[in-house]
Amino acid sequence: MKFPDILRLALRNLREARLRAGLTTLGVIVGVSMIVSMMSFGLGLQRNAVQRFRDLDLFNEITVSGRSLVGLVSSAMGDRSGGEGREGREGRRGRRGQADENDPARKVPERMLTEAALAEIAGLPGVASVEPNIDLTTYVRANKRALLRQVGGALVPNGATRFKTYLAGRMISSPEADEAVVDESFLRSFGFERPQDAVGQTLELLAPGGADEPKAGGGEEAGKKGAGAKDEANAKDEAGRDEDDDELSFFGLPLEEASPEDDPAASALAARTFRIVGVLKTEVEGGAQGGRQFRGMMPVSSIYIPLPAARAWADRYRNSISEVAFRLARASGVLKEGETAGYAMAVVRVTDPDVLPGVQTRLHELGFNSFSIVDQLKELRTVFLILNSALGLLGGISLLVASFGIANTMIMSILERTREIGIMKAIGAEDREIKLIFFVEAGLIGLMGGVAGALAAWAIDAVANRLAYRFILQPRGVSYVDFFALPPYLWLGAILFAVAISILAALYPAARAARIDPVKALRHD
Amino acid sequence: MNHSLIETREVSKHYRMGATTVVALDRVSVAVGQGEFVALLGTSGSGKSTLLNLIGGLDHPSEGEVIFDGRSLAPFTKREMARYRRHSVGMIFQNFNLITTMTAAENVELALAFGGLTGRERETRAGELLERVGLGERARHRPSELSGGEQQRVAIARALANRPRVLLADEPTGNLDSTRARELLSLLREMVAGDKLTVLLVTHDRDLAAQFADRTIQMRDGKVETMNAER
Ligand SMILES: Nc1ncnc2c1ncn2[C@@H]1O[C@H](COP(=O)(O)OP(=O)(O)OP(=O)(O)O)[C@@H](O)[C@H]1O
Ligand SMILES: [Mg+2]
Repeated sequence: MKFPDILRLALRNLREARLRAGLTTLGVIVGVSMIVSMMSFGLGLQRNAVQRFRDLDLFNEITVSGRSLVGLVSSAMGDRSGGEGREGREGRRGRRGQADENDPARKVPERMLTEAALAEIAGLPGVASVEPNIDLTTYVRANKRALLRQVGGALVPNGATRFKTYLAGRMISSPEADEAVVDESFLRSFGFERPQDAVGQTLELLAPGGADEPKAGGGEEAGKKGAGAKDEANAKDEAGRDEDDDELSFFGLPLEEASPEDDPAASALAARTFRIVGVLKTEVEGGAQGGRQFRGMMPVSSIYIPLPAARAWADRYRNSISEVAFRLARASGVLKEGETAGYAMAVVRVTDPDVLPGVQTRLHELGFNSFSIVDQLKELRTVFLILNSALGLLGGISLLVASFGIANTMIMSILERTREIGIMKAIGAEDREIKLIFFVEAGLIGLMGGVAGALAAWAIDAVANRLAYRFILQPRGVSYVDFFALPPYLWLGAILFAVAISILAALYPAARAARIDPVKALRHD
Repeated sequence: MNHSLIETREVSKHYRMGATTVVALDRVSVAVGQGEFVALLGTSGSGKSTLLNLIGGLDHPSEGEVIFDGRSLAPFTKREMARYRRHSVGMIFQNFNLITTMTAAENVELALAFGGLTGRERETRAGELLERVGLGERARHRPSELSGGEQQRVAIARALANRPRVLLADEPTGNLDSTRARELLSLLREMVAGDKLTVLLVTHDRDLAAQFADRTIQMRDGKVETMNAER
């Protein structure tokens, strides 16, 4: 007998026992809809969590660190322990265990993060951008207040999520622009009522402008220092990064900006002015703490200025310890004339989270240290795998119950159809064919139940999501979130699973049907 | 008489009923030639149905063997046995044994489907068969909508569907009145005549047997009592 005939027979049998087949199918529908809706909830949680991390740039950023100036000087000055506390520790640890030596993350970086190195990293396949970290801790004056603040250098244009949303204004327009973006905490500390009030205002970075010297001399001195800065800027140009010529004028500025109302000491300060062009939205949505959100690998600042300006400022107003290290390095020859110290850290942004491990390996090969949370992503996946399995198991139990229903229905129908099976055997049905009829019947119940169950799950998801929004999210002012994920593999898999379970449930009934003795079945009643 | 198509050699069938053993057939040896119409007579419980089921391949003998066309059925696998039932024998029963949820045509088509026929070919053949038993008009009716005689004619059509060489009929007229019984057996005779089909007919009715059969075999208590010669 050909398969279409078997299928037709199976369909006929189900039609003949419509009510019973329907109820049995209902069991499968409940089971499948349980599995699918529960797993779609788990998958939704996972998707939303992963998406959230992705939005925070945690899966596409790598922190790179190079050899520090202090470490460089220590090795040149003959400190065998490695000099720098951290490196010394690392060194001892390395000697203690073989495993540590093989661990690239524990190695002391071989190379410095110079501009040339950054350019090289930027050229690696899969790298979208490289942003060196420059943090300036400096006094900032705005809205007639002067406060000690952390100022960060920002790559312009910048693909990071933290520069995506603004309460007012926009991102810094170009690397050369004297523009700054600030965050909400800046508004509070500098006394701006509304974000719009800050946009268009200026802020000044303050530095000692020779307070002991007379005003005119101060200008001259500043000019000389400016020339020194220019030299360094030229050196940096050679290393690959360009800086504007007119920067000199900023460093040479004898501070006309200093307003007459300020106290006399303040008037002896050097300042560089930036126009505030944007206020970042950094507060967590609906968050009670009002704290700043952790976004990406780069340390968070409340004020960002273009990277070249930050670099120039940092070089110009290096703190004394750094200055000593720099001069020692120059003097000993480890840092050649025209070479700069390099950055302590940079953030590498990759084009896709999938290429991140490859890029990280390349970074190690190039002699840098790096860190990413890709391992944490793996762990997150494991956690969700367990959660989803647990949810699937719960749903699976109801499908198991349904499978007993299928077995029961099949056995009932054997009792009812004994004579029919006997007839079929008498006219030449093989055992195989009798079994197949039962398998197809069960498979059809599984298929119909599976399809209807998947549809039911979809409806359950839609209703549950709407209710959750109406009664949980909306009252808290949170925007609509899709809690469920219903990927095709989930519902297709559930349908296939239902069919498989159903056929499994028919295993015993089918074997029993095939065993029916036609002589007994046909004996007249 | 031709070379025998069906032969039983010392065939016995025992049924164990707890401590006792029922002997349904006791060393029965019969031979039926190609194209013969043989009537099997005997009192109730004499083992007629049991013998027919063994010949029809629905059951296995406890002892002895059934030979069909020179081949013993004993070494047949279950699958070969199913093929044998499908292609070599056709059976009809006292209680018709039609599938009640199927129409007359569907009942015949089911047998054809097991025989491997599909589609148009199958429908055409089923139509022809029903036409030949005079039920062309009733093809779309279910058994419950047909008289006993009509149901038995559907059963004949089904039994002959895969062109078997033997027709085994176990009291096919048992549920029919004598007029209908005669009509049915006339039809049966007519149907098998052309193809020189071998028929084994179980009946209680000596007159019917005498009228339609070439010869009769008389059974009693699981044994062959008399085997009268060919007329
Ligand atoms: N499955 C069985 N278990 C036990 N005994 C059986 C079984 N099948 C048949 N018998 C016995 O075998 C004997 C022969 O039965 P069988 O049905 O062949 O008789 P029969 O000649 O066809 O009778 P009838 O004319 O009433 O149909 C009977 O005594 C019957 O009780
Ligand atoms: Mg009988």
